[in-house]
Formats: sequence, C-alpha cells, structure tokens
Amino acid sequence: MSSLHAPTLDAARRRLLGLLPATLGAEATAMRRPGKAPLDPAPDANPAQPSAVVTPPALVRWLNRASFGATPALVADVQALGASDDARWQSWVDLQLNPTAIADPEVDARITPARYPTLFKTLTQLWTDHHGETANYGVRMRPVSESECAKLVRATYSRRQAFEVLVDFWHDHFSTFGWHYDGGTVFPHWDRDIIRAGALGNFRQMLGEVTRATTMMYYLDLRSNRRDGPNENYARELVELHTLGAMNYAGVLRPDDPSLPVGTGNDGVAVRLKYVDEDVYNATRALTGWTIRDGHWQFPGDNDGSYVFRPGWHDNYSKWFLGRFIQSYKGETDGELVLDWLAAHPGTARHVCTKLCRRLVADQPPAALVDSAAALFGQLWQAPDQLRQVVRHILLSPQYKAAFDQKIVRPFAATAHALRVLGADFTPVWDNTATWTTTEEFTSRLQGTGHRAFYWAAPNGYPDRQSAWSSSGALAMTWKLLTRLVELRQDRNNASSPFLADIVAQTQAALPAGSRNANAIVDHWAQRLYGHAAEPGRRAVLVDFMRQLAAAGDELDLGTDTWNLNNLRLHYTQSRLRTLVAMLLCSPEFFRR
Amino acid sequence: MTPLNRRDFLRSSALATLAAGAGARTRIALAAPEAATDNVLVFVYLRGGIDGLSLVPPVGGNLRADYEQARVATRVPASGATGALALPGSGGLWGLHPRASGLHGLYQAGRLAIVHAVGMVHQPVSRSHFDAQAFMEYGLNGQAGSEGWLTRHLVSGGLPANVAIPAVSAGAITSTSLLASTETITMGSGAEFRLDTAPWGWNARDNYNPAPPAAFQGMVEVLPALWQGSSPLEAKGRQALDALALIRPIDFAGYAPGNGAQYPSGALGDQFRMLANLIKRPELGLRIATVDYGGWDTHNGQGNPTQGYDYFGIRVEEFSRALTAFYTDLNGAGAGNHAARTSIVVLSEFGRRVLENDAGGTDHGYGNVALVLGGPVNGGQTYGSFPGLATNQLFERADVGVSTDYRQILAEVLLRRLGNPYLDHVFPGLSTYTPLGLFADGTGLAPVWGGFDRLFDNGFEVA
Repeated sequence: MSSLHAPTLDAARRRLLGLLPATLGAEATAMRRPGKAPLDPAPDANPAQPSAVVTPPALVRWLNRASFGATPALVADVQALGASDDARWQSWVDLQLNPTAIADPEVDARITPARYPTLFKTLTQLWTDHHGETANYGVRMRPVSESECAKLVRATYSRRQAFEVLVDFWHDHFSTFGWHYDGGTVFPHWDRDIIRAGALGNFRQMLGEVTRATTMMYYLDLRSNRRDGPNENYARELVELHTLGAMNYAGVLRPDDPSLPVGTGNDGVAVRLKYVDEDVYNATRALTGWTIRDGHWQFPGDNDGSYVFRPGWHDNYSKWFLGRFIQSYKGETDGELVLDWLAAHPGTARHVCTKLCRRLVADQPPAALVDSAAALFGQLWQAPDQLRQVVRHILLSPQYKAAFDQKIVRPFAATAHALRVLGADFTPVWDNTATWTTTEEFTSRLQGTGHRAFYWAAPNGYPDRQSAWSSSGALAMTWKLLTRLVELRQDRNNASSPFLADIVAQTQAALPAGSRNANAIVDHWAQRLYGHAAEPGRRAVLVDFMRQLAAAGDELDLGTDTWNLNNLRLHYTQSRLRTLVAMLLCSPEFFRR
Repeated sequence: MTPLNRRDFLRSSALATLAAGAGARTRIALAAPEAATDNVLVFVYLRGGIDGLSLVPPVGGNLRADYEQARVATRVPASGATGALALPGSGGLWGLHPRASGLHGLYQAGRLAIVHAVGMVHQPVSRSHFDAQAFMEYGLNGQAGSEGWLTRHLVSGGLPANVAIPAVSAGAITSTSLLASTETITMGSGAEFRLDTAPWGWNARDNYNPAPPAAFQGMVEVLPALWQGSSPLEAKGRQALDALALIRPIDFAGYAPGNGAQYPSGALGDQFRMLANLIKRPELGLRIATVDYGGWDTHNGQGNPTQGYDYFGIRVEEFSRALTAFYTDLNGAGAGNHAARTSIVVLSEFGRRVLENDAGGTDHGYGNVALVLGGPVNGGQTYGSFPGLATNQLFERADVGVSTDYRQILAEVLLRRLGNPYLDHVFPGLSTYTPLGLFADGTGLAPVWGGFDRLFDNGFEVA
C-alpha cells in the first residue's frame, strides 16, 4: 500500500530540487545509489578538473605520519641530517626516539607553572586541590582542561614530534575519558607519570603503571574490585583492549574447550592462545584488592589517591589464567603474574603491533610488517626500551616508506598541522568565567569534529581508520574548524586583537611588492602547506579564485579589505587571500597520509 | 522471473526515459519522491548494554521474587512513589522504570511495545561490547563485515530514483549500521552542518541578499572543484560536500517543535529534534536514521529510584523525555501526522547479569528488552517469551536468556513498513521469518528469499 505525499512547492524545496539529479551518466559520483542519478554540480560552478593524486617528496610523506605535520622548517632540518633521504630519515628517527636529548624551548616557554599550574602538581596535590573540590566544577576539572591545552601546545610547537605522536597513540590505546568526575581531577598524573613516562619504554612496565593509576582505577572501576564484591570491568578491558585484543577472543566457551589452540608465550612457557570469559573472571579475581587510598570507609585515614594493595580484599584462592595455574595465597603477585603473562603473550605482541602499524602506516597494516614488529615486540618483552625499538623498526621499514594514501589525517592532527604550517601563535588556556573565549570556541569546534582531546567515552579509544574520519560529519566539521583558523584572533571578543596567524602579513613578508600576483600567492601557500606544488587542475581553480577578473600575473593589492562587487579583483582582497589559504587547508592534499 | 525491484524501477518515469534512450545523457523531469512506502525507521542504539531488568523490572509473581533475590542496591521497587509504573497487558508481571513516565504514557496510548529476551542467537555468545555492537550492526550473524545492515537495506529496499536524503546518522562518526553507505549524511547538528566560517565576504553566494553577480563564487561554490579525482578520499570528500549542499537550505535554528513537544536539553534531545525537522520535510525523502545513546555500562554505582542520586534513572529520564518529545513532535493532525509512518526500534548489545555485583552495579549479560515505538506499532503490550529468572532458567546460570532473535524485529519493520522483502540480503544467513506482530502490516509483502537481483547491487550503471 503506497502512500504518496504531494509536497507543497515552497521556495526552499524549489531551490533544493534545482540541485537534484538532472542527468544520468556513467561517471562515478558522490552520493550514489542504485537507480538514483548523481548530483549535478551547480551550473555556474567551476568545471570539474581532471586530477591525479600528487605524491609528495619522500621526506614530506614520511614526516607527515611521524609528526603532527611536515613544515618547511622541519623538512629543511631533516634534509641537513644526511646525504640521502634514507640516511636523513634514519638520523631523524634516531634523534626523535631520544626525546629527552632534544631541547624544546618553544614548549618550555608556553607550558609554565604560571600558565598551567595543575600540570606541575603531584598526585597528592591534585588529589587535595581538585579531587577534593566539590563546590566549583571549573576548578575541580581544571587539571584535564589544562592537559587538553598542553596537548595542543605540544603537538603544535614541540620539537619532539615523534614522541608526541606516540604519546597520542598510547592515550588512545589505554583510553580514558578525561572528563570523568573523579579520574579527570588527577589527569596530569595520568598523562605525565603514566603515559608520557612509559611511551618509549617497556610494555609490561607500562601495564603495571596503567593498572595502578588513579585515573584508570576510577574509569574502569578496579578500585571497587574486592573478593566480597568483584568488579570485572577493568579485567575485561585489560584483556580485550589493552593486551590480547578482541582478535584473540574466543567467546563464551569453556576454558578446556578442545577447539582452543595452545602455543608458547614469549616467556617460553605454554599458554592458551585465545582467551575466553573465564579468563576475564579469573583475571578479575587475581586483581582483587588492587585499589587506591580514596578514603574508603574501611580505611578512612588513607586518602591521597595513591595506589594500595588491600590483602583483606584479595581473593586468595588459586586461579587458572590462559591455561596457566596461579597458586593460592600469593596476594598481590596474582595480578603481577596476569600482567606478566599478558605482556609475554604472542597475541598481545600481534594486537599491539597491529595497532601501531595501523597508526603509523596504513588502515590495513601490511602483514609482513606486523609480523616482524610483533616478533621483535615478543623478543624484547622484558627490555627497558622495548617500545622504542619496535617503533624504530616500524618507522625505518620499507613498508613505512612506501605507504602513501593509506590513511586520512584525523581532526586533531589536521588542526595541529594547520597551526604549524600557518605559523600560528596559539596558547589555549583554561577559563572559568562566563566569557566565551577563543580557547572555548576552538575546543567546542574540535568537539564537533568528534576528536576533542581525551573526550572519547568508551575505553576502546578513538577509531583510527579512514572509514570513521571521512564521514560527512567529521570532514565537514573539520573543514569548518580549519577555515575558522585563518580568521581567529587571540581574543575573539576584540576585533583589533592580533590573528592567531596573520595570513596577509606573512604573504606580504614572503612576496615582495611587485610579485604579489595570484600565481605567486597560490604557489607560495601550496608549497608551504603541502610541501609540494599544487596539482595543475587544482592550481588553476585556486589561481582563478585569487585573481578573479585580474590576470594571473597581475599585482593584487593586499592592503585593502573592502566591498567591491562591481570589480571582484578588488572585493575584500585580504579576506579572499585568507579564504584561499582556508581552501588549501580543506583540500585532499592536506588530509591524505 | 523478474525481481520485484526491477519492476519497481521500470514503473518509474526515470527508467522509462532510460529505456527509450539508453546510453544518452537524459534530463529527467523532477517529480516528487514517490515511494513504494515513505515510512521511516529510526534505529536507536543504547551503547554499553542497558540493564533491561531495571528499565522493565518484573513486578509480580515468581519473577518478582527471583528479582528481589538478585537485586538489592539496584532494585526498582514494585510500587509506590519510587516504584515501577504498571504495564497493563503484561499479566501483572512487568513494570516500567518510574522515570520513564513519557514512555509509560506512550505505552498506555498503544504506541510503545516492549519485547522481552531479545538478543543475538549465534554461537559463541560474546560479552565484549565492541564485538557485540559490531556483530549486531553488521547483521552477519556473528561475523565482522564492512557494511552495515541498514546499508544493505538501502541498496535492496527499492527506494525511488530521486530521494535527496535517504539516510542520516546522527553524531560525528557514522553508525556501524550504515557503514559503507554512500548516501548517508552523518551529522550531529543540522544547524552546525554548514560551511560558514570563511571570511564573510568570500564564504558563499547565499551570504549576500540580493544575490551577488553570477561571476561571484565563494568558498562554498569553489571547494567542490578541489575534490575532483578518483581516489577513495576524494570520493568521500565529494559525498560530504553533496551532503552540505543538501542540508544548507534547511532551517534548523528556527525549527519549532510541534504539538507541544519539549525536548530535553543535551545531545540526544538535539539529535531527535533535528531528525523530526527532516522527517517533516517529505520532499527530502528521509527513510532511515540512526541515533546513539551511550553510558549504560553500569558496573559500578548503577543506582536505584529510591536514592537521591540515581545514575541509571537520570539516563532513563533523559532517554524517555527525548523519545516522547520526538513522537509528540511528529504526531500532528491530518497531513501533519508523521508519526503514523515513523517506527522507532531501540536495541542494546546485551543485557546485564541478573545477580548484581557488590559495587552497586551489574556486569555484562545476554538477553535484553527491546523497545518498539511509533504510529504503526501494535503497542500497549509485551511480546516475546521470557525465559524466567530462576537460576536454572538463566543462560550460563547467570544471564537472561534469549528467545527472540533481534533480526526478527528488524525484519518485520523492513517488510511491513519499509517494504523490503529481501530479508536475507539485509541479514545474510537469515532463513526464517517469524514476526511477533509488532507492526501493522502496511505493505502486505511476503519475504522473498534469495530474490535480490545482484545486478542492482552495485549501482545503476548506464552503458
């Protein structure tokens, strides 16, 4: 039974219908469905330009995935490190994987105790000053707010770029929701003492720190895990997300089900290769009593947020985990063994290395690289610099170097890259007033993209695939944010406040008077933003936009910004220049990795 | 034997023109988006595994006794000021959480149905959120995939040739149910979904009133030319630009909900308000929408209605108010009765264990309630056979069992409301259709097993 609607022909609909299918054609189209004709471009738009994917120079491609975006200065630095690209790259990677030896004056100047006091507080201070703050929510959550600000500052200004990329990875791998009412109050401890401290070290070591961390204790309820009231939330995610991964989950089966394969751990001992729910429950039992000093009514005097093992809360009887036996009455050692066995498990090596390769190389990581990285991860499972060596292996691999157009940059990284290549001066700061500040607008727009820092609610962390980040919402909101950057001022409420990045002034400094024509302007900014020239078809579109009715080689007056619809070459020239740069940022070249 | 959808295509004027001049670029006269059915399905996903036993608690008989044995800190009282709202037509056995008063009103009006013991039936069962959600939304009976079940419906559902906006995924990241769909717009806020941050003078032609000279092309008009090309990234960019162009003329900021509907503040209310706005514009042809509402993974401090701070209750209330406002907004009179063609199905990846834990919470379970709501729904009653709460009646002696395959609920709405008989194309591996009778039969269709014509699977390519 059909039910036809006869919509009224209001003006909006007429205009909308004008955009709708007018032709059927064989060309591939955007929003396409069987039988549905493609959407025609509006009749007066620029004609579609043929285009090919431009492959950037090797160093630019490699830097774009191991940093928050190549810049001309960074490329020049790396070019000075050797006689060939391979040699330069290896030198740069080795320098970057020793981050403490890299001076970071720009970051040190911006991340100061005066500006971000919470980032310099100890766990005890955070606990007292912020976890204890129940009246003023803004003050209570200042630590995560400042952590968010610092993340952007580091991504934009740090010279320890590869380290920051890896810190971002581990924050996703051990993901917590930064704005958790309790966990967020001590977030700088989580970021600084757990994630940043462990990013290039030993995975087993980091597992131990993560399990005991106050933020994680709140987020996944481990602090409530007692023998008289077990809580399995942390144990499940420890196994499913942090170590073996769902790839090694066999479902609700008996642990002695004959279909379950058995192999050898990297510790040389036999181990079941896939886990079942019974393993999660036994891991839960093993981790009973792992808690924090949070003023629990049984121990009211213990109240500083730090880790403590409560023997009286521990399930002391024997357990089986992954086919291995844990003796009774070993107390805190039970949990240590669970972490040991997970860290030494070949499934963990494969799961973690798959994710690392997905982050650094391609959405579908090359199997041979995952294999070799996992083998190395396993061999080095007790080495203090295990993760540094595994990352080095990945970054120097032929697969890393060959990969291109296998990933899309995610919104946070695209934003940081834009700030870097625009030479922006932006230091976001916490604000607890009613004023809508530049930082707050920026954060709100980033939230709209779906990639605000530390804002993913589930413990699986932000997705890492093109299928997630090329959705219409993610792309549209990222375009909006990148475009806004060329107009944003230090103080958005003051029209004479300086721009975060003064596009016009930078153009005038780079191109002497007499050379400020559309050709030169487009070439300058494309080279600067992409590290290579614009593809000819796109270049033509951009030059046409910039020149309007002038010739491509005609000098443009970059000193005015006034209305002139009668002579478009004079119409809001400065705004047009900024819009040009915004369009360069919102093009495929800026998103392709 | 010509498959049904090919006949449908041939009936439409678009195809008639094509048959006349295949191969030629033909200008097709725009008609209203005709439909075999213009019904809408809103698929709401409660992420985290909502505790169905607290949303719809047992209030009578042995069920209540078993329930009270298992639930203390998370118990919903059977009656009283903080007690469950009685559900007539449930044999005196079931109630609704006290903070779902809006949903209760809809149940009493016969617009809300509750289905018991719903879940996935493939083995082995998974208690992983991420796996369970994915399996449910891929609809491949326990396999991972690359396209969502709703994507396969859109391909096979016989939508007319000129639907502008067939599907919307509310949020920033596309719901897995619509994964790989080339015609889904993913957006969290209609009012925000526009390019309007470029410098004013060069943002877009529609910044100007009256219109600027024809030669004026702003960023909105020029950006699509920068996304030409055949790589997958460029294709996704063009999809996003097309979506932006379609949404741009629609007024979201000025939208006034109808019929006294009052949406709760927050993302959920905003998203339902946005969808109601779109549904009320039949010229857009919206058929499918997905909405997410998470935060249900209550391992700790779940709360109960007698407490001053009841975490679970707060979420139930927001959810109930948002859904009730959405239905009310659509439920106008005469031509404004969009509720009559809108069905809402609410699912969650699994329920929670019957025996609560000692952290005042509950852990992952199996069977769960499903809610079905809308004009076409045979509401005011409960469906499905509940397996019982005695320990020997529980799955693995721990969880509510599953007696209704979630796919049967979705299959029924696909067939009786959306007019898609290709149930095994949407849910590969499904071989039987056992509807519960949740929906009024608006199409009279029977399932067509193995009948979907693959030629139409990948697009309508003109020679």
